[in-house]
Amino acid sequence: MKGIFISCNQALLDEVMTAMKEIGVRGYTSWEEVQGCGLEGEPHTGEAAWPTLNSALLVFTDDEKAVKLMEELKIIDQRSPKLGIRGFKWDVEGTF
Amino acid sequence: MNIYKSAVKNPITTILTFCAVAIFGIFSLQRLPIDLFPHIDTTYIMVITAYPGASAVDIEENVSKPLENSLNAVDNLKHIMSKSKENISVVTCQFQYGTDVEVATANIRDKLDMVLNNLPDEVNKPIIFKFGTDDIPIILMSVHAQESWSGLYKILDDKVATPLARVDGVGTVSIQGVPERQIQVYCDPYKMEAYGITIEGIAQIIASENRQVPAGTIDIGNNTYSLRVDQEFQEGKEILDVVIGTRNGANIYVRDVATVSDTQQERIQESFSNGERSGLIVIQKQTGANSVDIAKKVEKEMNKIRPTLPSDIRIKTFVNTSDTIVDTANSLVDTILMTFIVVMLVVMLMLGRWRATIIIVLTIPISMLSSLIYLLIAGDSINIISMSAISISIGMVVDNAIVVLENITSHVDRGERLKQASVFATKEVGLSIIASTLTTIAVFYPLTLITGMAGVLFKPMGWMVTTTLTVSMAAALTFTPVLATLIMKQNPKKSRFQKYVDAALDWLTEVYARGLNWSIHHRRLFLVCAFGLFFVVVMGLGPRVKSEFFPTQDNARIGIIVKLPVGTRQEITKELALRISNDLRRDYPEIETINVTEGVPDSDNSWASIQDNGTYMMNFNLALSKKTERKRGMIELCELIRADLRKYTEIRTFEVRESGQRGGAGGGSAVDVELYGYDLETTDRVAQQIKQMMLSIDGCNEVNLSRDEYTPEYQFVFDREKLAQNGLNVASVAMLLRNRVNGAVASYYREDGEEYDILVRYERRFRESQEDIENITAYNSEGKAVKLRDLGKVVERHTPPAIERKDRSRYIKITGSVGKGYALSDIIGATAAGINAMELPYGVSWKFGGTYEDQQDTFRDIILLMCLMIILVYVIMASQFESLAYPFVIMFSLPFALVGVIFGLLLTGTPLGVMALLGILMLVGIVVNNGIVLVDYTRLVVARGEKLMDAVVIGGRSRLRPILMTTLTTVIGMVPMATSDGIGSEMWKSLGMSVAWGLSFSTLVTLFLIPVLFTSLALRRQRRREKKAQRLSE
Repeated sequence: MKGIFISCNQALLDEVMTAMKEIGVRGYTSWEEVQGCGLEGEPHTGEAAWPTLNSALLVFTDDEKAVKLMEELKIIDQRSPKLGIRGFKWDVEGTF
Repeated sequence: MNIYKSAVKNPITTILTFCAVAIFGIFSLQRLPIDLFPHIDTTYIMVITAYPGASAVDIEENVSKPLENSLNAVDNLKHIMSKSKENISVVTCQFQYGTDVEVATANIRDKLDMVLNNLPDEVNKPIIFKFGTDDIPIILMSVHAQESWSGLYKILDDKVATPLARVDGVGTVSIQGVPERQIQVYCDPYKMEAYGITIEGIAQIIASENRQVPAGTIDIGNNTYSLRVDQEFQEGKEILDVVIGTRNGANIYVRDVATVSDTQQERIQESFSNGERSGLIVIQKQTGANSVDIAKKVEKEMNKIRPTLPSDIRIKTFVNTSDTIVDTANSLVDTILMTFIVVMLVVMLMLGRWRATIIIVLTIPISMLSSLIYLLIAGDSINIISMSAISISIGMVVDNAIVVLENITSHVDRGERLKQASVFATKEVGLSIIASTLTTIAVFYPLTLITGMAGVLFKPMGWMVTTTLTVSMAAALTFTPVLATLIMKQNPKKSRFQKYVDAALDWLTEVYARGLNWSIHHRRLFLVCAFGLFFVVVMGLGPRVKSEFFPTQDNARIGIIVKLPVGTRQEITKELALRISNDLRRDYPEIETINVTEGVPDSDNSWASIQDNGTYMMNFNLALSKKTERKRGMIELCELIRADLRKYTEIRTFEVRESGQRGGAGGGSAVDVELYGYDLETTDRVAQQIKQMMLSIDGCNEVNLSRDEYTPEYQFVFDREKLAQNGLNVASVAMLLRNRVNGAVASYYREDGEEYDILVRYERRFRESQEDIENITAYNSEGKAVKLRDLGKVVERHTPPAIERKDRSRYIKITGSVGKGYALSDIIGATAAGINAMELPYGVSWKFGGTYEDQQDTFRDIILLMCLMIILVYVIMASQFESLAYPFVIMFSLPFALVGVIFGLLLTGTPLGVMALLGILMLVGIVVNNGIVLVDYTRLVVARGEKLMDAVVIGGRSRLRPILMTTLTTVIGMVPMATSDGIGSEMWKSLGMSVAWGLSFSTLVTLFLIPVLFTSLALRRQRRREKKAQRLSE
């Protein structure tokens, strides 16, 4: 069981969701509008200076699908590098 | 879910909603009436009261004064004027602009009911007319006839005038120049005296011979018959055989003492169309009624009437105001289409992408059509103001769509999918679009709140632009993103054209960035130059701008009133009228129809009797070919005609009226000096001095006084003692005199259901000199003949002309024309200086009235409004920036707009009128937009962490393109308006010009000045912060 936190430009949310559906990832929690700033690139604060916003997803799935999803995310990022998307994967210690 | 997302998700709903708006708009367009202006007509109501036999002074004292005193209390009254002349008093109430005619009429009727009992007993009941004497007729028709000529008056009166007067909105229909048929019994006084017969006797016998009397019924056998005497004359000649007495056993017939002719009235008004004898039908509309609407109804009615008229009668409409109005509307439609195309080209050129251009341009028709829905709901019409509003907004409505589309494009360029980009990009700019639309609306909305003439004019404009901008904002936020997802391409390839455009704009941006960089590093020098320029232009050139009220509209109509010396015989007037008419027709091929009317109308023609007329006066109506079909303008033609008329030595005074009218919107400009004073002689003298002084002013070629000269007349003064000795009295001899000269109506001659007067009077040659009058025989109580010369004498006197009053004091109006190339302000200035240099006698005062008064009132309202707008715009900007200083910086665009306008007006020699002032008003809302964009973006760049100086240049560089684009669409959108030459274009030319010049100049300055001021302000703040920090650290 892996957990993935995805933070991406709002405009990419639909694409991430489509990718998840294709891979068969079912469990997720999403926030449509969040503010954030990456280690590089423009901040996404929704203010006058930086008007774009981010979306965030917390996804939990089995190891195999998690790897596939991470690969998909990377493809999306390469397709539109200016928009910004990042995924963070870790082991889940327990669930019920 | 937000509105942008739901719009993009439901494209069908969104598109159909806007389609519905468009369809309703088209529907409204078909139902909207067309007019020249919104209900701008001054509301005039005339009260006409006849007091037969009273002189001008009596009328003034006993009729006009009491009426004025009572009517003065009517609500919304602006001025009250009266004209008292022999037999008649005309009181004209002028109401504030926008007053409801019906309500005003009802109020006047109430007041009249109250005052009626205080008037002398012989005064007739006052008649109310819902228009003013200054209103020009909306339709003039000439009538030609051959066989029917003698009975024409009755035919026209019954079959044409009466049905037309019933048409809704028609004020009055009057027939001029058509004589009434009359059977004249011309008597020879010497023969009558020989037989001992009088005019009265003949009249009485004719009346009793011309009878039809039902005598009851009789029963004969089984039947009942009615019995009647029908001895009415079958033809005029029968009168000759009437027995009027016996002498020495022989009958005396009418033919023994008189001749009978079946002819027309002697004193008539004659009218000539293009030199040919004709009748004239004049249609006047009610205040506030729609001319085009009336013209249509009249035309429809005429089509019904024509077949019922005898075949030889030809009625031709030669002046129809509605033609000009429709032509004006059409030429504005051309202007609007032109603007549409030009704006489209600008968008295409700046964006370089046709798909984007289509999306943006589509918002234009939708917002335009929505404003038409407003017009229909508000009961307004398509007119110069509403159409100008449309033309003005074309350049502005695309701005919002441009901003949205630009942002969508930049999102797509960053790699977003079209659908997402449309939603998020729109959402990002949504708030700022609403804010910038609000600033513009802040300018236009207050227009809906003002009153007075400016209110009447600008209310529809305010509402229309507000509606249009609101709809365009809604369209930009929903319709544009939907269209973007449907029409735009995900990865468009740049066309070669677009590359050229980009290269050119990049070069321009580079030049601008360098210039900007230089100016923000030389702030002091730059500011000194800029404000130096401002003061030089405003102080130095500003006073040279001429001012006017409304430009004179070339509506292809000229009215001329020519007066010969008072008392000139009608035959002489007629001869000259025909000569002038022929000369003008020969010299001016532009004249299509020339109609001249001279003479005095019948006394029972109430409309004609309130107008100035006399045997010495002639009235011309000239219909010119359309403005677009001739080289010489109307004002130029008027000037030439004035010069020509001056060559006729017989003419005492003349008045040439451009547009057929004076003052108001579109009428000829004129300077009205109102001279108040009780003593007629003193005011006459001063008025003459002022007239001479005004004639010496350049550009003022014609000056007229409203008070005419004294009219010479003969008065028969009876000696009461001699009358008494003969058992006579003034009433009986006066009647006797009247019957012999004016004639006695003996009876009526009936033919085909029409009645004509049978008039018995002296033959003409027996009443043509003073001796003839003195030789009239009267019979005293003993039946002995007495000559009138034994009862009194004829003296020659002068009667005072009509006495005019305004606001309850006697006054004379001195009207000066404004020549070609001169503006109202030129003549006003010189006149005021001239009068001030004169020494006016005690009790005489003066002021400017008419057009100048309207101009001053309206200008005052507009300037007040402008202050209100500036405050409102400031408030909106302050709340937008949450700062008091930045909006102040942005406000500096305003004075430079004024500089641009002054330049524009001076270079083109256009006077500053209401329309140009309206342009300046609009500039308040438009010019600040560029400043807002610049300051907003520069602050954003600073917030992103750039250094101040760099941020200013980066901000300027990035905003240059959108600023240029929105400015160019507006400026170039105004060019068709400013340069159009169609019918009616005089009206909106100055509006287009002031916006175009003001906005381009202010944009040019704003692009440098605002960043410079911004830098200074931001630097000062930075320093202050640093000092504070330093203090704190210490």
